[in-house]
Amino acid sequence: MFVRIEKGSAVSITRQMADQIRALCLAGSLKPGDQLPSVRQLARELAVNQNTVLRVYKRLEAEGWLDVRHGDGAYVTPRPPIWQLDGQRRQFAEELQQLVRRGLMLGIGADELRELLDQTLEASLPATSQEQSQ
Amino acid sequence: MTQPMIVLNSVNKRFGDHEVLNGLSLEVQTGQTFAFLGRNGAGKTTTIRMLLGLLKPDGGSIRVLGLDPAKHEIEVRKRVGYLAEDQQMFGWMKVEEIVRFMAPFYPSWDHELANRYARQFELPLPTKIKHLSKGQAVRLGLLLALAHRPELVVLDDPALGLDPIMRKEFNRDLITHLQGEGRTVFYSSHLLYEVEPVADTIAIIDRGMLVKQAPTEALRDQVKRIVLPRAAYHEFGSALNALDVRTLGDEVVVAVNNAPAALRALATSGCPHRVVELNLDEIFEAYVAGQPSHGGAEPEAAGVGTAE
Repeated sequence: MFVRIEKGSAVSITRQMADQIRALCLAGSLKPGDQLPSVRQLARELAVNQNTVLRVYKRLEAEGWLDVRHGDGAYVTPRPPIWQLDGQRRQFAEELQQLVRRGLMLGIGADELRELLDQTLEASLPATSQEQSQ
Repeated sequence: MTQPMIVLNSVNKRFGDHEVLNGLSLEVQTGQTFAFLGRNGAGKTTTIRMLLGLLKPDGGSIRVLGLDPAKHEIEVRKRVGYLAEDQQMFGWMKVEEIVRFMAPFYPSWDHELANRYARQFELPLPTKIKHLSKGQAVRLGLLLALAHRPELVVLDDPALGLDPIMRKEFNRDLITHLQGEGRTVFYSSHLLYEVEPVADTIAIIDRGMLVKQAPTEALRDQVKRIVLPRAAYHEFGSALNALDVRTLGDEVVVAVNNAPAALRALATSGCPHRVVELNLDEIFEAYVAGQPSHGGAEPEAAGVGTAE
């Protein structure tokens, strides 16, 4: 499990870790039933307080992503709470709004913005478009 | 509830005209890793020297392990592990010699543990101390501070002079050998981002006073910047409990100490505002902002070399 911590960031360490573990679950890098490193191991690897790692595991357990078994470790639950994506989707929409506003402020017109979005989509979806064409 | 490991109550200390500690109060709970932050000259080393009974306070009271270190200096030093800032050890001694030299000072010295640390820290026993790298010297200091199995470990800016890789290694040692064994750690530093990953509680001192103490996690939620129109600031500003205020054109940027309360106050009054999250340097700056550096010869800086 690869998690990285950015020191001195405006995002707290617990949030950085929780966000990345959720993302790994969503991306399928962590699959239901997979065991996570022990609190001790991960704390040592990231050079982070054990209580912080424990707090992250407990939070993800409360959200339904992990199953923390006492003395045994943490496992990805059989059915991770994909519904939790709602919050992240909302955040994405807000970020997109801000980005569009910034573009408008820079004098990029609506048509040009649409074109940029199309280009970005095209560049980001090569796998699916190839599959469709085959 | 067990008694706190360290209690400082309105501690004052002055060197000549210079008031180094000005009513400093704080408590460190047993088993915690407590980060003690301040700029150079804020009073960190002076405080640490008082915890170990090397200096007496002019006023107020200090308890370490329930004892007054000024009266029970020997007892306190036996039970506390101390890693001094920029330790000046006997450079001509070999690593194995200093380990043998230090052991008799501590009744609870554990030879086996000292050997184990020497192996884990990869310390070359036959090497003279003056030939150790900076990282090895800090690890040797840590070995000497830990081999008597202290209940409390006091680290005075241990990461000073270590490169980023050695700092991470040092934090790993701290997590495995101190936190992993339930010891209380009092860790002084001037870098908030350096202590955030390891600390349970963060205390910030400035000009000899405690300006903030909070669980590490809570610090970020409590300290934020709020941007509001200048007119609105004149109306509602007094309710915000501002740490630092800057005017930029028509807007005022306010760093607040209790963001949830400030945001509630603004929401109820319907005042337009934006919230800016702060990184750790900015949080630290918010507390010590606008404080001119003390400059000149500082008793704290001047006294460091004589700490041992």
